[in-house]
Amino acid sequence: MISNASVVIIGGGIIGTSIAFNLAKLGVKDISVFEKSYISSGSTGRCGGGIRQQWTSPMNVRLAMRSVELFRRFREDIGMDIEYHEGGYLLLAYSDEEMGEFESNVKMQNQEGLSVQLVSPGEIKEKFPFMNLERVVGGTWCPSDSHANPQIANIAYAIAIKRMGVDLNTHTAVDGIDIQNGEIVGVQTDKGYVKTNTVINAAGGFSHEVGLMANMDIPTHSERHQILVTESINHVLEPMVISFKKNYYVRQTMHGSFVMGQSDKKPAQGNDLGHSVEFLEEMAPKMVHDFPFMTHLHIVRQWSGAYNISPDAQPIIDTAESISRYIFAVGFSGHGFMLAPAAGEAVAEMVVYGRSKTMDVSNLNMRRFKRQIKSEKNVV
Amino acid sequence: MKFYETIVIGSGPAGMVGATILGQHGVKTLLLDENDFIGGQLVKQTHKFFGDHAHYASLRGFEIAQKLQDGISSNSNVEVENAATVMGIYPNNTVTYIQNGKKCKAYGKKLLITTGAMEKQLPFVNSDLPGVYGAGAIQTLMNEYGIMPGSRFMIIGSGNIGLILAYQLIQAGAKVRAIVEALGKIGGYAVHANKIKRLGVPILLNHTIVKAIGDKSVSGAVIAEIDDKFKPITGTERELVVDTIAISVGLTPLTELSEQAGCKVEFIPELGGYVPIRNERMKTTNPDVFIAGDLASIEEATTAMIEGKIASLEMVQELTGKDLEKEIENEITILALFRSGPKSVKIRSGLEKMGIKNLAISKPRINEPKEDIVGKLRAVLECDEEIPCNSCEVSCPFGAIYIGENLNSTPVLDPDKCTGCGTCVNACPGLAIFMLKEDVENRMALVGIPYELLPLPVKGQKMWAMNKNGDYVCDVTVERVVKYPNKTHLVYAKIPIEFSQSVRHFSFIKKESPIICRCEEVTLDEIENTIDSGITDFEELKRLTRVTMGPCGGKNCKLVVLGILSRKTGVSISNLSQGTSRPPVKPVEFSAFLKCGDDK
Ligand SMILES: Cc1cc2nc3c(=O)[nH]c(=O)nc-3n(C[C@H](O)[C@H](O)[C@H](O)COP(=O)(O)OP(=O)(O)OC[C@H]3O[C@@H](n4cnc5c(N)ncnc54)[C@H](O)[C@@H]3O)c2cc1C
Ligand SMILES: Cc1cc2nc3c(=O)[nH]c(=O)nc-3n(C[C@H](O)[C@H](O)[C@H](O)COP(=O)(O)OP(=O)(O)OC[C@H]3O[C@@H](n4cnc5c(N)ncnc54)[C@H](O)[C@@H]3O)c2cc1C
Ligand code: SF4
Ligand code: SF4
Repeated sequence: MISNASVVIIGGGIIGTSIAFNLAKLGVKDISVFEKSYISSGSTGRCGGGIRQQWTSPMNVRLAMRSVELFRRFREDIGMDIEYHEGGYLLLAYSDEEMGEFESNVKMQNQEGLSVQLVSPGEIKEKFPFMNLERVVGGTWCPSDSHANPQIANIAYAIAIKRMGVDLNTHTAVDGIDIQNGEIVGVQTDKGYVKTNTVINAAGGFSHEVGLMANMDIPTHSERHQILVTESINHVLEPMVISFKKNYYVRQTMHGSFVMGQSDKKPAQGNDLGHSVEFLEEMAPKMVHDFPFMTHLHIVRQWSGAYNISPDAQPIIDTAESISRYIFAVGFSGHGFMLAPAAGEAVAEMVVYGRSKTMDVSNLNMRRFKRQIKSEKNVV
Repeated sequence: MKFYETIVIGSGPAGMVGATILGQHGVKTLLLDENDFIGGQLVKQTHKFFGDHAHYASLRGFEIAQKLQDGISSNSNVEVENAATVMGIYPNNTVTYIQNGKKCKAYGKKLLITTGAMEKQLPFVNSDLPGVYGAGAIQTLMNEYGIMPGSRFMIIGSGNIGLILAYQLIQAGAKVRAIVEALGKIGGYAVHANKIKRLGVPILLNHTIVKAIGDKSVSGAVIAEIDDKFKPITGTERELVVDTIAISVGLTPLTELSEQAGCKVEFIPELGGYVPIRNERMKTTNPDVFIAGDLASIEEATTAMIEGKIASLEMVQELTGKDLEKEIENEITILALFRSGPKSVKIRSGLEKMGIKNLAISKPRINEPKEDIVGKLRAVLECDEEIPCNSCEVSCPFGAIYIGENLNSTPVLDPDKCTGCGTCVNACPGLAIFMLKEDVENRMALVGIPYELLPLPVKGQKMWAMNKNGDYVCDVTVERVVKYPNKTHLVYAKIPIEFSQSVRHFSFIKKESPIICRCEEVTLDEIENTIDSGITDFEELKRLTRVTMGPCGGKNCKLVVLGILSRKTGVSISNLSQGTSRPPVKPVEFSAFLKCGDDK
């Protein structure tokens, strides 16, 4: 632990480590990262690993597309194989109304330069003959959507930043931010005090709490999302499949296991990391119905993690107005893993150049909530 | 034609004890055996025998044979003919045998037939390929002639013979890839099974051989899981690369000679198949003919010897008119006691079919363990099955082990009385006793392990400590080696205290890195390299290597991984992260959640 840091990042999840990586790449020295537990202990280590570009908001589409570009180079840039695989994403529609929405999304996504197409049940059946498509009226298919192993990605960033000289402190919690006359002067951790004038809040499920350390009321809250993994079998399912109507997502990892989840009807609030048997009771019938081969597949483990949610379910990447050099990259909801490479790049640029250069992320600022809130719709 | 008062056919333990007693009582006896030397099955046995200490238990088979033989050769009433194959028994108790290519005839007033048993066959595709042997044939080649028939073995059948064969093969330097067993449980004694499990031999239950593979000789075997009707389940076939297949699916009595002698035989599967009908005193339906040993029922050396004693005492009584009632009744009680354990249910019910009641005076018990004294050097007994053995109780010079009247009862240690001398470890034929002394302050433990393999490790030797399943647990340095004349040596080494209940074998370090996590096939090297690259947090190590992340949820390897981490980082195991347990504890099918059972 160094005593004088140019930047302190609170949170060693995929967002915090990606920011640190990009800062170090831009030549910033004396970066400190504080992670209160181990690397990937937060939402990142608990997430489904899906990387999707088919969003309803153009900003999310752009960020995700930039991330895919960076994920493709992950092994060369960061130095580790993270089981990145472009197996595509298949989104299923169950009514003409839903299909109509898909159509307008695809139009927007195509305008953004993303190759997505509408598919009929027949075309889906041809690609994935093992699926039971009862009541499915169509869907969308994006072949360049992908998935990867989020835990390894997080640890890969951690190893890379250590190699680049970043002061990474695991099992070290930040307890307070020392602000004098509206200027940050340091942070207090449970292992000591560090002087700094720049703090980045990348605390995931704890973004609101870390906001309060700087007297900021960041409009994010956390809720529990459950997920499960099965035993491994031969590779059969290439894409991530999502059904908003039936409320599930599922993918097969490169290791052969299936990872899947849903949104609970009344999700537990806060950073509750428990699990419920109802989750299994609700998942089982829909999965076995849509993927009959899963009937005798074994569930190996269930767990949960926090979605950190903003009023429009889109991330907030901004600098505080009242305090100098307090930056936050929070509220990533169910898509912080996939956006991390691009978000990290943008935040690093904000620190170094005062604004993001590669991609303009200014419309992810806090001020947007003062206007009308337009939520991202395509979420599970 | 030569005339004798008795002729004993077969010189295994039953026949040898019978001939000895007959001779001791002045009965002129001829002992015939087809082999070049006497001893029967015993001469092939290099392992220590179970049973009652009064009947030579804890000695090795060939040593028992030697002792019995000494008794016979010092007795002038017993004439021994080796290499004498009895070809038939003709009317008037005329025994005809072939010796040196010549026919010989002998007459005996009474006959004791102790021809033992032969191995059952098992038909499978290519079972006629060279390289497929009966277990007995392998033992004969290996232990009598010093010839190894192969280097990589598979054994069919997990009865005591299969288990012991596996152990002997490993002692001889061979590899045993697996033991397959059709039933859902191990046939032999748990202590015998444990001996080979910790050497890393898997015992595959509900499995059978489908076929042997090979052109001129065996080069492999296809095995498969079987359903409850013993049919191989398609899709579960697996190939094992082996050059020898040993069949050990049981013995069946050699009844031909007794049949020719006019003894009635009946099919009683509990006793091993067709067996001569006989009474409690081993007399068959022909009043001149007695039997004993495996011919009467497939059992063990101890029972064969007791039966040989009962039969010969009764024969002496009938021939000489001496009153030996008390002695006979006493032996019958000992035999009943011996057969009173759960491992003898089959024998008991078989005998009952024949009208022989089993009158054990006491029942075996699971003895209550006494309060342990952590930190004291003491014996740890891992013998929880009620088997007929009391070597530990008898051998302890300090009376620290109790079994009680019925030798099938389980042994318990009185840690107060135990001095840590190690005598019992050395005497135990099941290699089921270990020495242990914890050093709680330094979180270490000293374990002593019985060791019968070659080469014997030396002090300072770096080795791997293995658990009860033969999986790697941690690195150790040998602290002390205590050599014993009976070749069961004691090897001591220190291990982290957390492993005091798991480390049960020391293995020489192999070139190939050991698998630590079986579910995910992660090796020690991979884990060490990952730690060396700077990952010292268990949770991160786990996510990078997948160690402990398989279906077993780390039940089998988590502690071992923490041990490696502890050795590398110097942080004690108890201070390293333990992670969180998540449902399900065991993998559950989706189908289980389709219909709800009984929600209460
Ligand atoms: C079940 C589930 C499935 C998901 N599936 C997907 C998916 O398929 N694709 C996708 O892109 N996203 C998915 N997500 C969302 C994704 O996991 C998150 O958006 C992303 O991981 C957020 O990263 P982060 O770095 O902001 O947060 P985190 O990974 O939670 O990291 C924040 C870190 O900050 C630390 N911290 C907090 N407070 C302090 C403090 N005071 N001092 C020091 N450290 C502190 C925490 O310990 C934590 O490690 C899923 C999430 C869940 C729960
Ligand atoms: C691998 C193995 C491990 C064992 N482990 C133990 C143990 O730990 N403890 C224990 O108590 N028991 C053990 N046993 C069992 C024990 O060896 C037998 O139960 C015992 O040897 C039976 O004695 P027996 O005298 O009836 O027959 P055997 O020992 O089989 O002797 C029969 C003799 O008769 C001879 N014979 C047969 N037919 C003829 C003929 N026509 N003419 C001339 N001679 C003939 C045979 O060649 C043989 O020498 C083990 C057996 C095996 C194979
Ligand atoms: S170690 Fe010695 S004293 Fe202790 S039980 Fe064994 S034989 Fe008896
Ligand atoms: S512990 Fe005792 S009873 Fe058990 S096998 Fe060893 S000597 Fe026999």
